Amino acid sequence: MAINVPVEIATTEAVPREPRARWLSAVVGFTRRRTLGAVGAGVVVLMLLVAALAPVIAPYDPVTVDFGAMLAAPNAKHWLGTDAFGRDVLSRLIYGSRTALLVGFGSALLGATVGAILGVGSAYFGGRIDLYLQRLMDVFLAFPLIILALAIVAILGNNLQNLIMAITIPMIPRCALVIRSSALAIREMPYVDAARAAGFKHGRIILRHMLPNVMAPYLIMLTAFLGQAILLEASLSFLGLGVQEPTAAWGLMLRGAAVEFAETAPWMAVFPGLAISLAVFAFNLFGDSLRDALDPKLRTL
Amino acid sequence: MWRYFLKRFLLMFPTLIGVAALIFFLMRVVPGDIVELRFAGESSAASKENLAQERSRFGLDRPLWKQFAEWMWGLARLDFGKSMWTGASITDEIKLRFALSLQLAVMATIVAVLLAIPLGVISAIKQDTWVDYVVRIFSIAGIATPSFWLGILLILGLLIVFKWLPPMVYTPFWVNPWQNLAQLIWPALAVGYRYSAVATRMTRSAMLEVLREDYIRTARAKGLVENLILSRHALKNAMLPVLTVICLEFAFLMGGLVVTEQVFNLNGLGLLFVQSVAHRDYTLTQALVLLVAAVFIVVNFLMDLMYAWLDPRIHYR
Repeated sequence: MAINVPVEIATTEAVPREPRARWLSAVVGFTRRRTLGAVGAGVVVLMLLVAALAPVIAPYDPVTVDFGAMLAAPNAKHWLGTDAFGRDVLSRLIYGSRTALLVGFGSALLGATVGAILGVGSAYFGGRIDLYLQRLMDVFLAFPLIILALAIVAILGNNLQNLIMAITIPMIPRCALVIRSSALAIREMPYVDAARAAGFKHGRIILRHMLPNVMAPYLIMLTAFLGQAILLEASLSFLGLGVQEPTAAWGLMLRGAAVEFAETAPWMAVFPGLAISLAVFAFNLFGDSLRDALDPKLRTL
Repeated sequence: MWRYFLKRFLLMFPTLIGVAALIFFLMRVVPGDIVELRFAGESSAASKENLAQERSRFGLDRPLWKQFAEWMWGLARLDFGKSMWTGASITDEIKLRFALSLQLAVMATIVAVLLAIPLGVISAIKQDTWVDYVVRIFSIAGIATPSFWLGILLILGLLIVFKWLPPMVYTPFWVNPWQNLAQLIWPALAVGYRYSAVATRMTRSAMLEVLREDYIRTARAKGLVENLILSRHALKNAMLPVLTVICLEFAFLMGGLVVTEQVFNLNGLGLLFVQSVAHRDYTLTQALVLLVAAVFIVVNFLMDLMYAWLDPRIHYR
């Protein structure tokens, strides 16, 4: 899904042809013009594959404890070594990609979508509603992302749904702000007036006439959120307020023993961090190129 | 202009009161209060009278508006009250931690500025060369690297290369500056690198925009030395958006360093906030939220003052 996103947009400038050919030419075009972005997209696709095929690829079970092989250095049996419980680091990394992508896609999609609807609604209705919504958003925006997420987890308690909620909520106002500014311009378009004159309901105008036209900033925010959400999940899990043991998650793997035994068993601290960085890096590369391709003017994110 | 500043200054107070009211009522909407949490640990079901007695001790049984008015009256006298969980004065609880977080935020900002501005400028001048690509990858990597992992790597590197660990106990700067810096420089580096990434990108794009302006062409045409064009004509005009980014990030750093603090064993504001929310320690949470919001609002105010000072094109009414 990550790759067919830019495709539909990029084709607006290409010559319309057979649907399949348009698809392909857009991918080729994006790859040629934005090589770095294509590399990022490639890594994202690879990650999706790894997550989907985790049971097939992973050499060991990620939660099976093996006290015979505690803190083993990388070797032929355990390519990236084992942790303090003798669990295979590589297998845990592979399964950890599932957690990262689930939380990442879940909260980014939810946050960007709710934010987009609020932003468009706020711009469409204007007046009092707009004013109050914006003030409310301002209050949320005054808090660092991580602090808000931590507070929400502390209040709701931590399970996977609450974790996704905690990461989603701080993202909503950030997205709403950006989408609102684009939607303000669209509201003045003649076709919105026409739709109103034709007597369409508010809901229909917002969903059918305005939302499709803020797709570019929406997709940009979505890709930007994906990396942030993965980073946030890792941070929360690292603090012990995110995913719980024994589930495999990258942030969790850096917690506790990884720091304690960092000197004697550095592989425990190095590889999960590399996985987080690579994932976020790939999403950012892709998101950056997508932003350049869709909207060169939108640079402050 | 002075009228604008005065108005802008006075406008900070309604915002602060708004934040105070919001956090006050939000805390009380959230299910569970400190009394329930305290008694939850005990095996025997606490009797209703005990709970009620505890609540009245904290004044939680009185009408909300009375509690709020009392809190506001305390704030007006700069009295934050006592922590519900520990019973200690909140001012005392926060004082050292605030100093620590503030110092760390300032140091990280210095690191970020020292990295971001030179890198951003070079990257803009050498646009689309390998230098530009290296800088851009360096900065995207900065955004992608969790600062807590960078912190772990830093500690690990120090251990392996120098067989030395930074001090793990906080010493205030005024007690022993050397000890203090030896501890805080590492988290400042880890956070500063990440923080510089955004600023580097902003410097680059702002410089690119400015370098295309007519007055730069004029400066070149009249034969001005390139260095002078860059420093005096271009950089000065490109600084405004960069300053905005740096100020906003600074405001966020005050409370947002929880994870880095954990790695370096620092007892800052972030950790205290998480604990206070988990304990439903209303008074402490309220004070912390207000403090972080106040820093954010004051930084925004100072930013507006700076704009007026730096950019004479901005008119105020």
